Amino acid sequence: MMKPHRRKRLGLIVFIAVGMSIAAALTLFALRQNINMFYSPSQVAAGEVGAGELFRVGGMVKNGSVEQAQDSLAVRFVATDFVHDVAVDYEGILPDLFREGQGIVAEGRLDSAGVFQASRVLAKHDENYMSPEVKAALEQAGISPGKHRFRSAPEN
Amino acid sequence: MAGRWQWLHRLGSPRWFYATTTRWLPWLAGAMALLLAVGTVWALLYLPPDYQQGDTSRILVVHVAVAGASLSFFPLMAVAGTVTLVWRIKLADMVAKNAAPLGAWFSFLTLATGSIWGSVSWGTWWEWTDSRLVSMLFQFFLLLGVISLRAALDNSATAARACALLSIVGCINVVVIKYSVQWWNTLHQPPSPISMQVGSPNGPEFWVATAIMAVAVYLFLALSLILATRNEILERESKAQWVRELALGAT
Repeated sequence: MMKPHRRKRLGLIVFIAVGMSIAAALTLFALRQNINMFYSPSQVAAGEVGAGELFRVGGMVKNGSVEQAQDSLAVRFVATDFVHDVAVDYEGILPDLFREGQGIVAEGRLDSAGVFQASRVLAKHDENYMSPEVKAALEQAGISPGKHRFRSAPEN
Repeated sequence: MAGRWQWLHRLGSPRWFYATTTRWLPWLAGAMALLLAVGTVWALLYLPPDYQQGDTSRILVVHVAVAGASLSFFPLMAVAGTVTLVWRIKLADMVAKNAAPLGAWFSFLTLATGSIWGSVSWGTWWEWTDSRLVSMLFQFFLLLGVISLRAALDNSATAARACALLSIVGCINVVVIKYSVQWWNTLHQPPSPISMQVGSPNGPEFWVATAIMAVAVYLFLALSLILATRNEILERESKAQWVRELALGAT
């Protein structure tokens, strides 16, 4: 048997730990939209972001959507979560991993035409690591495991 | 009444700990050196480059191993802290005291390797809006806080109890770090689901090197913590007969 004074101390520790955990969980739950790094194109389409507000949008670069200007670093592409699209304008150096079918997070503002004017574009690579040979073999078999699961809306 | 918890007091004897770890040290050091060499050579020479990231992905072997180990410090300090608070066993606090600076170093290395990796793959060294990055930075600061708290309190028994309580509460942040990439939108990718099949995404050719490195890093952690704790024992027990005999015998 545990001695009574020790049991009392252990009980107090458990009480404090449980109390603090509940407080932390409630705080994080209340702040969930602020903690999210980016909005999905569906959230943008639903008007969750005010006009002129600085925010980040995350999605896949839609296949065939990248238009690179001939005489400058300006680029236009479409970010998608496979439900809604957001057109993105950007001028600058893109990360090495930027390509069609790649996940990106862009920071900027929506203009009056609903086009996202990005000041920064980051590449969001996924959690599937494989050699080029494996990737080629899988593509030949018609499987694309590298596909991002960009959520169209937050689950909570 | 010789209670059910008697074993804990036997295990908590500094003298027993010192004698036992003297026997363990060569084995721990040997295993660590071997696995560290195998893991490093594997990661640099035999790990296939990733189809997207090329050779950049090799850093994951170090980053994942160090990051995983850095998450073990708060749970370890919380268990030691609970033993300190409930049973008042001195050895537990000696372990907790030396775990904090080591944990800060592990957290720093996690942030540094991740930052280097991110600068190449994401196109940014740091993002304040990514909850995985910020919660890991928070762990680094929390560990600095535990170290400062102990240094700030003059009474060592009070300091031990205060640090124990902070370590227990700090475990909440470990859960936040772990699940941040699943609960919220982040730039950081979620954990990779490992595959047992060679030639499939996240197959053994990718994760075996990381697993070897992870074991090596945990051995390094154990070795560092044991060595630091042994110093602490000699310092705190310097008046004990067995320490005097040990010191005289060594010279």
